Amino acid sequence: MSRVDLRRALRDVAVIGALLSVGVLAVFVRARNLDATAASVRHARAAAIAVAAGDAPVVATAAAGVVGPPRQSPRHDFLRRRTVMTATGPRPLGGPTAPAVDKLLYDAAGRFDRDGAFAGLLSDGTGRAVAAVATPRGPAIAITAAAEPRAPLPWLAVLGLIGVTLVVAGAGASLGGRARGVGVGLGLAAWALPATAWGGWPLGLAVAAVAAAAGWAHAVGATDRVGASVRAHRVALSFLGPAGVAMIVLVVVPFAVGLALGFYDHHHGTWTFVGLDNFRRILSGDGHGLSDPLNFWFILGVTLAWTFVNVVLHVGIGTLLALALRQRWLKAKGLWRVLLIVPWAVPNYITALIWKGMFAGEYGAVNSILAGLGLDRVSWFSSWATAFSANVTTNTWLGFPFMMVVALGALESIPRELEEAAEVDGATAWQRFREITLPHLRPALGPAIVLGSIWTFNMFNVIELVSGGKPGGSTDILVTDAYRWAFERGEQYGMAAALGTLIFLLLLGWTLIGRALTRGDEEARP
Amino acid sequence: MSRAVAGVAALVALVGGCRRDDAAVTLWHAYTKDERAALEAQAEAWNQDHPEQRVELVAMPYDGFGDKLTSAIPNGNGPDLFIYSQDRLGDWTAAGLLEPIEFWIDDATAGRFTAEALAGLAYHGSLWGLPVAVKSLALFVRTDLVSTPPTTTDALVAMAPTLRARGVYPLAYPVDDLYAHAPWLHGFGGAAMDGDTPTIATAPAVAAAAFARELVAREVVPRDVDGALTATLFAEGKAAMAMSGPWFVADIPAGVPYVITTLPVVSATGRPAAPYLGAEGILMSARAGDKDAAIAVALAFTTDAAARRRAERAHQVVPNPGAYVGDAGRDANLAAFRRQLDDTVAMPVSPAMRAVWTPYKNALGQIVTGAATPAAALERAARDIATYARTAGGS
Amino acid sequence: MSARRPRLAVALGVHVGLAAATLAALYPVMLVVKKAFEPGRQFALSASPVPHHLTLDHFRDLLGARGSHGELAFLHHTLASLIVAIATTVIGIALSCTAAYALSRFRFPGRKAALTSFLVVQMFPASLLMIPLYVLLHALGLLNSLTGLILVYSTTAIPFCVWTLKGYFDSLPRELFEAARVDGAGPLRIFWTIVLPLARPGIAVTGLFSFMTAWNEYILASTFLTDEGKYTLPVMLKSSVGQFSADWGLFAAGALITSLPVMALFYVLQKYLVGGLTAGAVKG
Repeated sequence: MSRVDLRRALRDVAVIGALLSVGVLAVFVRARNLDATAASVRHARAAAIAVAAGDAPVVATAAAGVVGPPRQSPRHDFLRRRTVMTATGPRPLGGPTAPAVDKLLYDAAGRFDRDGAFAGLLSDGTGRAVAAVATPRGPAIAITAAAEPRAPLPWLAVLGLIGVTLVVAGAGASLGGRARGVGVGLGLAAWALPATAWGGWPLGLAVAAVAAAAGWAHAVGATDRVGASVRAHRVALSFLGPAGVAMIVLVVVPFAVGLALGFYDHHHGTWTFVGLDNFRRILSGDGHGLSDPLNFWFILGVTLAWTFVNVVLHVGIGTLLALALRQRWLKAKGLWRVLLIVPWAVPNYITALIWKGMFAGEYGAVNSILAGLGLDRVSWFSSWATAFSANVTTNTWLGFPFMMVVALGALESIPRELEEAAEVDGATAWQRFREITLPHLRPALGPAIVLGSIWTFNMFNVIELVSGGKPGGSTDILVTDAYRWAFERGEQYGMAAALGTLIFLLLLGWTLIGRALTRGDEEARP
Repeated sequence: MSRAVAGVAALVALVGGCRRDDAAVTLWHAYTKDERAALEAQAEAWNQDHPEQRVELVAMPYDGFGDKLTSAIPNGNGPDLFIYSQDRLGDWTAAGLLEPIEFWIDDATAGRFTAEALAGLAYHGSLWGLPVAVKSLALFVRTDLVSTPPTTTDALVAMAPTLRARGVYPLAYPVDDLYAHAPWLHGFGGAAMDGDTPTIATAPAVAAAAFARELVAREVVPRDVDGALTATLFAEGKAAMAMSGPWFVADIPAGVPYVITTLPVVSATGRPAAPYLGAEGILMSARAGDKDAAIAVALAFTTDAAARRRAERAHQVVPNPGAYVGDAGRDANLAAFRRQLDDTVAMPVSPAMRAVWTPYKNALGQIVTGAATPAAALERAARDIATYARTAGGS
Repeated sequence: MSARRPRLAVALGVHVGLAAATLAALYPVMLVVKKAFEPGRQFALSASPVPHHLTLDHFRDLLGARGSHGELAFLHHTLASLIVAIATTVIGIALSCTAAYALSRFRFPGRKAALTSFLVVQMFPASLLMIPLYVLLHALGLLNSLTGLILVYSTTAIPFCVWTLKGYFDSLPRELFEAARVDGAGPLRIFWTIVLPLARPGIAVTGLFSFMTAWNEYILASTFLTDEGKYTLPVMLKSSVGQFSADWGLFAAGALITSLPVMALFYVLQKYLVGGLTAGAVKG
C-alpha cells in the first residue's frame, strides 16, 4: 500500500465519477419530468371521466365541463360558438372578453371533434394537462389546476454514492496489486444502480461497462499515462485550451449536428431518421437529367467550373499585377498598390449588390458602356453563359487583390543579387521568370490557392446577390443550392445538411490533394 | 490584454444583455416609412391608455422576415403578435406556430371587415388573424406619357410602336415573377393552385405565358426587371406605366404626374386581369405569453377608427368599409385600389404554394426570353414542383 | 525585368496595364460615390461616374433616421457593428495567438490532429451551420444579443487566424527563444515579451481579417438578431435595398460610410499586409 496508489485511484474515480454522475443526474431529471407529466395526464383523464359521469372531479381543476357542439356564424363558417355545461350551469364560450381558461376548453372541444378522445399536456408550457372523453351531449373536458410537483434532486443518495465510490476505490488501492483496478471498477459500478432505477437496465449496463473499462484502464496504467502526458504538455495545452474549447462548443458541435442532420428528413418541425436516403436522392440525380439544375452533378460541374475559372483569374491577374508593381523603375508604387487593394476593402455584400446593379437589365452601367462602344446590349441573367460571366466578373473583381498581395509578399523574398546576377549572365526574361521568380512564388501561392479555392467554392454572397441562380437555378453553386433546399424548397433542412456534408467531403479531398501537391511546408521545417 | 478583454466583455454584456420588458405584448412587423409611423403612433396611443399592458413594436427587414418567424416561434423567441400576409398560413398552421383566434371573434367584430379580407386569413376551418390591410396590384400610369390608360390588353400592346419610338416602354413589371404574372394567368382563366394541388401546365396557363412572351417580344415590357428597377424606369420616364401595389407610391419621386387605375381586360378572353389579393393581418403566435392581452391589442389595432388613421397616414388599403370617411374616403389612390379589389383572386394559402414560386419564376424567365416554349417550360416547372413538394407539401 | 532603364514598350505596357486594372478596380466604387451624392432613390441609369447634381440629402436621411425609440438609428447600428467587430477582433486574436503559439512552438500528442481540424472545420459552409448555431445560441440564451454574435464570429475567424499566425511564428528565428530560455524566462514571458512584439505584422493582418469577418457579415446577424436596435450595419444596409423597394441613394451613402473604416485599416496596415500573409510559407 502506498499513498501514491491511493492518490492515483482517487484521481481516476474522481474524474470518471464526475462524468458519470452528471449523466446519471440528467437521466434522473428526465425520469422525474416524465413521471410528473404522466401524473398530470392521469389526473386530467380521471377528472374528465368524473365530469362525464356527472360527478365532481376528485382533483383540482382549472375548468371542467361538457362542451356542446359548435354553431356556425351565418356569415363565416370558420366562426363558431360553443356552450359549456359546468357544475354551476351553462355558459357560452368565447367573445372578445372571455376568460382565458374558456379558450382552453374551446380548443380542446375542437381537437376532440377532429381527433376523438385524448389526454395530454397543454402546449403553453405550464405543465397542466387536459383530457376529453365522449358523452352523448358532447365531450367532457377537464383541465388540471396546476402542474404536478416534481420530485426534488436526491442529494443524499448522490452524496452517499460518492462516499461508496471513494471508499471502495480507496480500499482497493490500499490492498494493492490486482485489487487496485477492481476497487476502481467496483466503486464506479455503484452508479449503475441509480442508472438502472431511473433509466432502465440498458443504461445500467452501459454504466457498469464504463466502470469496468475504467477499472481495467487503471489496472494496466493507461490512465497514468494519459495523466502524465497531460502534465508533461500542460504549457502547450493551456495555450491551446481557450481556442480549443471555443472551437469545440461553437464550431465542432454545430458541425457535428450539421453532419447528423443529413440523415434526417425535416417536415413541419418534425425530424424523421431516413438513413442515407437524402444522399441517395442527391447522388442519383433524383430522376432529373444531367442538364437540369436540380441534378447534383450539374450543380457540381458549375461549382467546379466556377472555382477553377475564378482561381485561375485571381492568381493570373494577381501575379501579373504583382510583377508589374515590382518593377524597380515604377514610380508611386505605394499609390498603385493602395488603389488596387480597394476592391478587397469594400465589404463583399456591397460589392455584389453594386455589380448586380451594374449588370441590371438594359440600363445597367455595363450595358450602357457596351452601347457606348456600339455593341449590343446583353440581357445578362437570361442565359447561363452571360449570368455565369457576370458572377465571375464580380468575384474576380473582389478576389484578385488577395492573390496580388500574396504574390507581392513572395516576390519580396527574392534576393535582388540573384536577379542581377542572372541578368549579368544574360538570362532571358522568361528564363529568369522560370528559374528565379516561379520557385519563389510557388511556396506562397500554393497554400493561398488552396485557401482561395475553398473560399470561392463556398462563396455564397456573390452568387446569391448577383445572379441569384438565374436563369432557372443554373448558375447556383453547391452552397447556394443547399441554402435553397433549406429555405426556399419547403424547409428541407435534411437535404441541405446532406449537401453540406458532401461539400465538406469534396473540400477535404481537395485539401489533401492540394497539400500533397504543395508538399506540406509543415514537414519541410525542422 | 486580459483586462482589455474583460472590459470589452463587460461592455458587450451591457449592450447585449438588456432584456425587454417581459410583461409587454411584443408585435413584430416589417413595415417601413409611413406604414411604420402609423403603426408606431397606434402603439403609442395604446401605451398611454394601458400603461400596465404595454405593446412593444419590433421592426424587421422584410427580406427573411417569414423565415425568422419560422425559426423563432418554436424556440420561444418569437413575438406575441406579428403582422404578415396570409401566404404562409398553411405552413405555419401545419407546424403549430399560430394560435386560432375565432374563439374571441363574435359576429359584431367580424362585421368590421370585408368578408373577403377576413376569409383570407381563415384556413382549415379556423381564423388565424385580423386583417389590417389588403394588397393587390393595380396600374400606375404616368399622365405625361399616356393620356388614356388602356382598358384592354390589345390597346396596351398597340401602344408599343409610338412609345418605343421615343425610347419608352409602355409597361414595366417583373415579367418573370408569378405574383406579377398572376393577373394575366387569372385573366386567361387559369390558376396556380386548385385547393392543395398545384395546377401548372394547364391550357390557360400556357396561353397566359405565351401572352407574357408576346409582351416582351413586341417590346411592350422590358425583359429583365425586378420590383426595384420597375420603380426606376417609371420614375425616369422610361416606362409609361407600371404594374405594382400600394407600396409603389413611396417609390415615385415628387413631381412625377401619375394616376392609379384598374388593370386592363384580357382581350383574348374578355375577362379582367385579376391580381392576387393579399390580406395582411395581425397573427398570434401559439407561444404568446398572455393571449388575452394579445387579442385585446389585436382588436384595438383593427377598429374602424384605427384603420381610418392608418389609411390617412400610411395610405394603406384597409379592409374596414367603415374606415372610408373623411380624408380616407376622398383619397383617389385608395379608391383605385378598392376598385381593383373587385377583380382579384385570393392568394393561395396551401403549404404546397410555397414550392410553386421559384420553379414558376424559372419557367417564366425562360419563356419570355424565348429559351423555351411555354408548354415545355411549364411542364418542367410542374416536375420541379413535384420534387420540391415531395416531402414538404405532403400534408 | 529589373533593368534600370526599361525598354519603352515594356514601360508603356506596364503603365497601361496598371492603369486599366486600377480603373476597373475603382469604377464600381466611383459609381457608389456618385450615387451617394446624387439625388434620387434609384440606381442611376447611366455609365458615367460623374454626378449631375450634388446633394447631401442621402447622408442627412441616413444619419438623421430615428429608430422606434427616437434614437439615431444609423449611429446605433454603427455602434453595434463597432462593438461586435472590435470585440471579435480582440477575442479572435487573443485565442488564435495563444493557440498558434502552442502549435508552432510545442510538440505534443494531438498537435497534428488539432492543426488539421483547424483547417478542416472551415470547409463546412457557414450558411449551413446556421440552423445548429441557432439552436445552440438559443440554449445558451444568447440569441438576439451581440455577445452571441461576437462568440460566433470570433470562432469562425479562429481557423484562418491560427494558420496565418502559426506560419508567422514558425518564421521567427529559433535562437531567440533558446536565448530567452537560457535567461530563465518562462513560456508565458517569452510569449508576451518576445513573440507578440515580433509578430506584430502577422497579428495586424489576422486582426484585420477578424475585423472584416465581423464587419461584413449579414446572414447570421439577420437571423440571430431580432431587436432592430441591435442590428449591425450590414443587416440595416441590406434591408435598404429589398426586392420590392430599393433606396439606392441611402444604400450608397451607407456603403460609403461602412467601407471607410475598412479602407482606412487597409491603408494603415498595408505595409504589414504584404509580409504578414506569407511569412510562414515563404520561409519554408
